[in-house]
Amino acid sequence: MQNALLAAVLASLICGIIGSFVVVNRLVFLAGGIAHAAYGGIGLAFFFGIPYIYGTIGVSLVAALIMTTVAITAKNRADTFIGVLWAVGMAMGVILLDLTPGYHTDLMSYLFGSILAVPSTDLWWMFGLGVVTVALTVFFYRDILAISYDAEFAKLRGVPVNLLYFVFIALVAVSIVFIIRVVGLILVIALLTIPPYIAEQYARSLMAMMFFSVILSLVFNITGLWVSYQWDLTSGATIIMVAATGFFISLGISRIIALIRKNASDDPGVFRG
Amino acid sequence: MTSDTPIIQVRDLSFSYNGQPALVNVSIDVPDKEFLAIIGPNGGGKSTLVKLILGLLEPDSGKILVRGRSPKKMAHCFGYVPQDVNINIHFPISVIDVILMGRLRHRGRGRINAEDRQKAMETVQLMGIAGFENRRIKDLSAGQRERVFIARALATDPDILILDEPTAGVDTSGKTELYHLLGKLNETKTIIVVSHDLMIVSSYVKSVACVNQTVHYHPGNEITEAMLDMGYHCPVELVAHGQPHRILKTHGDF
Repeated sequence: MQNALLAAVLASLICGIIGSFVVVNRLVFLAGGIAHAAYGGIGLAFFFGIPYIYGTIGVSLVAALIMTTVAITAKNRADTFIGVLWAVGMAMGVILLDLTPGYHTDLMSYLFGSILAVPSTDLWWMFGLGVVTVALTVFFYRDILAISYDAEFAKLRGVPVNLLYFVFIALVAVSIVFIIRVVGLILVIALLTIPPYIAEQYARSLMAMMFFSVILSLVFNITGLWVSYQWDLTSGATIIMVAATGFFISLGISRIIALIRKNASDDPGVFRG
Repeated sequence: MTSDTPIIQVRDLSFSYNGQPALVNVSIDVPDKEFLAIIGPNGGGKSTLVKLILGLLEPDSGKILVRGRSPKKMAHCFGYVPQDVNINIHFPISVIDVILMGRLRHRGRGRINAEDRQKAMETVQLMGIAGFENRRIKDLSAGQRERVFIARALATDPDILILDEPTAGVDTSGKTELYHLLGKLNETKTIIVVSHDLMIVSSYVKSVACVNQTVHYHPGNEITEAMLDMGYHCPVELVAHGQPHRILKTHGDF
């Protein structure tokens, strides 16, 4: 249980920061593509008998590289390409596992993870990843902000836009791999998108959005763990349900705020600007 | 470099999008401290020409020199106000952070310091958006956002200020005010304004370039009969003023 809590804290830290980058850059589909394609890495690792982590990191980095190249050079074709790689990665994983005699991983644990059985070595990996993520984000904060908001202007100011884009998407890929090991593929997408989406509505800066996302993610993870422990439910799925509840509550609250503002203001709004 | 040498030289420039020619064999010289208006129909290649000058697009053939060097090497000379100031409108960013983008890598520095913040606040004052610095960009009107983007361009301390359709979301008094400001800035900077609205060819403008695949450069700020005859589908309001070809002369000429 102690490892599970530590994993939840580290996953929240990484997902809050990386997820905010993914959401403001509209890379959710790309992140989903990387996460699914990474399954091909599992097949590859088992087929060739190499450590699981090298297979998944290798495949997810290659997938991220191809997807980002397409996203930069042929923007209007990027979604199709990501969709294809998404499916190819999964299919490759399934077939390679078919061809591997003996032990087969459980697809369910890949989808939902097992936060209650996280080994300490994984925690160290995640700790290292968390440190790298925070350091890169703090150091390149203004550049990342400029690239995400207006890449053309950033380029004009001499920011190495494409290079930084590649570096941060590589970071997204590696984060996804480690977090899948802990919480599974479905939860990684949920944690990457739900807290940043809620935070984006109230945050005045990208930094604040990242901070709120980490906190929200932490709340969802801990609450989910506690609920799953109390009622003996699958932890990954419970955390997702808690996050989804948070998502719908936030939708409701923003609706109510919008209604109150509409009623309170005499400004017709249409004539603004 | 003497003031006689053009600050921007465009030679035999051609550019196409996926085989569709956008600009063909374009040559113009922009003198230092020029106030150039680029006009022409929508889709005629105005924004494309500007992006080529900025080095954001690569020409198919021909070349562009800014102070005798390639645009990419001179990117720090440009202050650029893009056409669409409503991109990423829901992005969590404050007005001051948008303006501070203009201070990124100023003279090669990577970080934002107190001097950058002071410079940003000066442009805030100049553009009349004081008090809005900490608002989120989505909470501003289109006209206010336009001012923020101009402030960002000015924060770069540019030699050449390029504005792509800066009056799109601005009312008439706002336009007059903006051109007055640009006229003042023109004392120290070269200014290029793109517009499909001929009203902008005000008394501050020193020359006009008509862009419709090809470019015709006209020193002086008159819209001549020849320019209308080139089939630029000039906006109706020009003719509707009742003094076609003459309304854009400087005031003293009347």
